[in-house]
Amino acid sequence: MLNEIFPIEEKHRKAARAISEKIIENYKDKYIVTISGEVGCGKVAVAHVIAKLLRKGGICSKILKMDNYYKIPPKERIKWRKEHGIESVGYNEYDWETINKNIEEFKKGENAILPNVDLINGQVDKLHTNFKDINILIIDGLYSLKIDNVDFKVFVELTHRETVEMQLFTENEVLDEFRMKILEREHEVVMLLKPLADFYIDFDTSMEIFHL
Amino acid sequence: MLGDVLLITDKHRKAADDIFNQLKTIIKPKMIIAISGESGSGKSELSHCLARLMNKSGIRTKEMHIDNYYRIDPLIRTEWRTKNGIENVVGYDEYDWKTIYRNISEFKNGKEAIMPCVDLVTEQIDKQITNFEKIDAIIIDGLYALKTEGVDFGVFIELTYHETKKAQSSRGKEPDNPYRWAVLEQEHKMVAALKSSAKMFVGMDYATRLAE
Repeated sequence: MLNEIFPIEEKHRKAARAISEKIIENYKDKYIVTISGEVGCGKVAVAHVIAKLLRKGGICSKILKMDNYYKIPPKERIKWRKEHGIESVGYNEYDWETINKNIEEFKKGENAILPNVDLINGQVDKLHTNFKDINILIIDGLYSLKIDNVDFKVFVELTHRETVEMQLFTENEVLDEFRMKILEREHEVVMLLKPLADFYIDFDTSMEIFHL
Repeated sequence: MLGDVLLITDKHRKAADDIFNQLKTIIKPKMIIAISGESGSGKSELSHCLARLMNKSGIRTKEMHIDNYYRIDPLIRTEWRTKNGIENVVGYDEYDWKTIYRNISEFKNGKEAIMPCVDLVTEQIDKQITNFEKIDAIIIDGLYALKTEGVDFGVFIELTYHETKKAQSSRGKEPDNPYRWAVLEQEHKMVAALKSSAKMFVGMDYATRLAE
């Protein structure tokens, strides 16, 4: 994803430290971590810091952003959702075939072509990458809990929505009634998936009660 | 560029507003805008804000970060510069101008292009495949962006590395050491020569003014 803006705060660093320790405990080559949570929960910043921390420790991780895999490109999405109704919002909006293909390519250490959205102009570019030297794949996305064969699944609770992270998705997406409905719908879907996580982050509570 | 962390503040938005107001008066098809300035002066932030404004008003804009075009890989750059002598190698020739001009010509001709794309987390260079067919303008941002031939509108940020020392360390982008300072000093000398080709300046206080 190009041109994504996310603020990194101490709480993100703290959470990332806790998660990367867990990862290192169980680490093996070609390890997969998913980070789920609602829009604006801070998962993007947490994923970034985890990857940076692991890199310092000599483990190379690539971040795969699920929002690159929407079947309907950003500029047409609002119209499409309005036409198909709120029930259409959910994990079926994603191109799971390509997601699974790219994960498989990571597992095998192959070359891969990934979709890559430019958030400024709304165009979907492609990214050609080589997974050969990548040890860990960190998948960030609301519905990443749905992915099979994941080694470690993290869920970030929504405390308050970070407005900056929200603006990302929004060239035209203002916080209107329809947008609120989408967020509500995503909330409902993700609540059903939440029990699948191995580790929960809640920025409002202290770090001591993080648990598996 | 993937995994870049931008710190956008109101001063960047304000300066981008001023620049856009000037740009509007001379807008033309397939326009090239360049933003030069020293490391840490806010080039990426400014070009991000400007690109957003342009896209909002219907001018489809793509950013082109010159730092993706280093000839020497990020992982071995320090070693390479030290070996060859900072004063000998730090400068324009560190960049792959041939590829930069090929990509610019692909933009001008509305073709699909393969561009280098550095992932700052993995420190690997991916390839980004983008289609310039519907792109109306590019913003080239980089230390020596103003040196590019065919620029329609150039902006120079006057902040020097002395003033941006703080911003650099808070971003934790590059290590703060004597080697780094020597590189910045050399870049400072090189970039000063490009100032005269700018149409607009962003001053020390981030106030903008037109070239005389």
